[in-house]
Amino acid sequence: MAKVEIASLSKRYGENFVVKDLSIEIPQGEFLVLLGPSGCGKTTTLRMIAGFVEPSSGQITLGGRDVTTLPPWKRNTGLVFQSYALFPHLTVDENVAFGLEMRKLPAAERRENVAEALRLVRLEGFGERLPRQLSGGQQQRVALARALAFRPDVLLLDEPLSNLDAKLREEVRVEIRELQQKLGLTTVMVTHDQDEALSMADRLVVMSQGEVRQIGTQRDLYERPADRFVAGFVGRSNFLAGQCEGDGAFISAGGLRMACTAGVRGKGTLALRPEAVSVGPEAAHLDNSFEGVVEYISYLGSVLDVRVRLAPQDRIIVQIANRSGEVLPKMGDTLKVGWPATSGRVFAEES
Amino acid sequence: MASTRNLKRVAGKLGFAVSIFVLVSPAILVFLWMLSLSLKNDADNTAFPPIFIPNPPTLDNFRDVFAKNNFLLYLWNSILVTGGAVAVGLLVGVPAGYGIARAKSAKFAFLILIARITPALSYLIPLFLVFQLIGLNGTITALLVTHLVITVPIIVWVMIGYFENVPMELEDAALVDGASPWQGFRHIALPLARPGIIVGAILAFIFSWNNFIFSVVLGGKTTRTLPSAIYNVLTFEQISWGPLAAAALLVTLPVLLLTVVAQRQIVAGLSAGGLKDG
Repeated sequence: MAKVEIASLSKRYGENFVVKDLSIEIPQGEFLVLLGPSGCGKTTTLRMIAGFVEPSSGQITLGGRDVTTLPPWKRNTGLVFQSYALFPHLTVDENVAFGLEMRKLPAAERRENVAEALRLVRLEGFGERLPRQLSGGQQQRVALARALAFRPDVLLLDEPLSNLDAKLREEVRVEIRELQQKLGLTTVMVTHDQDEALSMADRLVVMSQGEVRQIGTQRDLYERPADRFVAGFVGRSNFLAGQCEGDGAFISAGGLRMACTAGVRGKGTLALRPEAVSVGPEAAHLDNSFEGVVEYISYLGSVLDVRVRLAPQDRIIVQIANRSGEVLPKMGDTLKVGWPATSGRVFAEES
Repeated sequence: MASTRNLKRVAGKLGFAVSIFVLVSPAILVFLWMLSLSLKNDADNTAFPPIFIPNPPTLDNFRDVFAKNNFLLYLWNSILVTGGAVAVGLLVGVPAGYGIARAKSAKFAFLILIARITPALSYLIPLFLVFQLIGLNGTITALLVTHLVITVPIIVWVMIGYFENVPMELEDAALVDGASPWQGFRHIALPLARPGIIVGAILAFIFSWNNFIFSVVLGGKTTRTLPSAIYNVLTFEQISWGPLAAAALLVTLPVLLLTVVAQRQIVAGLSAGGLKDG
């Protein structure tokens, strides 16, 4: 396993940037997730690391080795495809051994590595089977074993869980993460599923339209989103349009004056996490305190999503924990809501 | 109630059988007539009204084919020409089909299609002139080269279809595992397209084996292939139907057998390929 360095990497087709000026260092053993909506350039980035897409500019280094111009077969990366891409005419053993055979490893050593890789993914005894005789989850694990068997410098995962059903997906997440930590694998995963990204990553790169919006830990992204896109893409946010005064005050479209983080001036947006809003008597003591009418309630079990109208143009979703014995708001009720100034983050209007 | 339903089912099956019979009867009847001709003596073959069932059946016509004509020589010629053309066709056509499929080169695919559509006759004059120039006229080599006009387009065309069905991701997986493009082709794409190779080879074999005109024009007295050699059984004085039918049957036999075998191979190939998996 090795460190991965990406320096001002770009991919452009004509005037159209698919990936624009991406720079990041991935220390050995880190689990990095590229997160973004489809078409944001995350898969292209992964394919550039694997060597399938030639960068328009920039440099990729694996463990100090410049691989920018090397073809995929000389890079020593392990890749798990979304479709697993197992060789259907080869047995599980042969699939896992393929990379070792290409590296001309002696047969004895090859058998050892294959057995080791299959043991890691808990598929001992499945070696003689063909891929089509395995379940989706097992196929996925074979793909993982195949990618690990030849000890790659970096493990690349291209939406590896999207073909699994929801329950299995959560199990496999944990399994991959544990394996990654145990072996100290430098890993880059691509996904559009933020739950998956948040639960597995050491660090995340949020991308949109080829550009990096923010690089950071889950907490960085959630508590200090760099822009409106990140605030909306990672977790949920209420967005209120209005005018930023620059000194920590925000006038909403509905004319409400709100205390918020300072910095931005002019037309902008205030982002507010639904769970950062308090309701009831305690709301009165907070920096921002308003009264609103309950318009809509979604009963989600452990929590309730309550839509509150503060002013005709200003509506926010408030998340309330569903504690037993508590009186829950009803539609049409008047509700006191409040939040601290630090919870309201303002962003300038995006050009 | 139950009996009417049974009756309906039997009637349905009967109708199906009759319609199948009507559809294939032209092919089957010609074949059966040929079989009948080959097993009758000369007198019965020209009798009117025609006699269908040979009585008694005779193998004289087959003996005649081997005795009077140099059947084995022509058979060997046919094997050389068709075998060679199919082998070279595979050697060239399979990688070509792969290249065209992977490069998504519609232009080349179209070019191959044109080669397939163009009547073989239009190749004949230029080929004849070229072979004359280099002194190849009347040789097996010349015939083999000409038959490539038949085999290569068929094989390429079939292979394009099969290679397009091998998911690109499988080869990407091979590349990332350390295989060079050539190794990816050799170890992944080629084995997965094997049913296509079999189908392409069989089709090429059939078309090449049945080809008549190239051998008539370019073949020498001793270098003809079977179809044009049989043509020589037709003499000016009289048509000896018996030996002609016997020879025709013998020529058809390999193709016939191959088709029966191929059917199984194709079905087996389709169910064993399982490209949807993985």
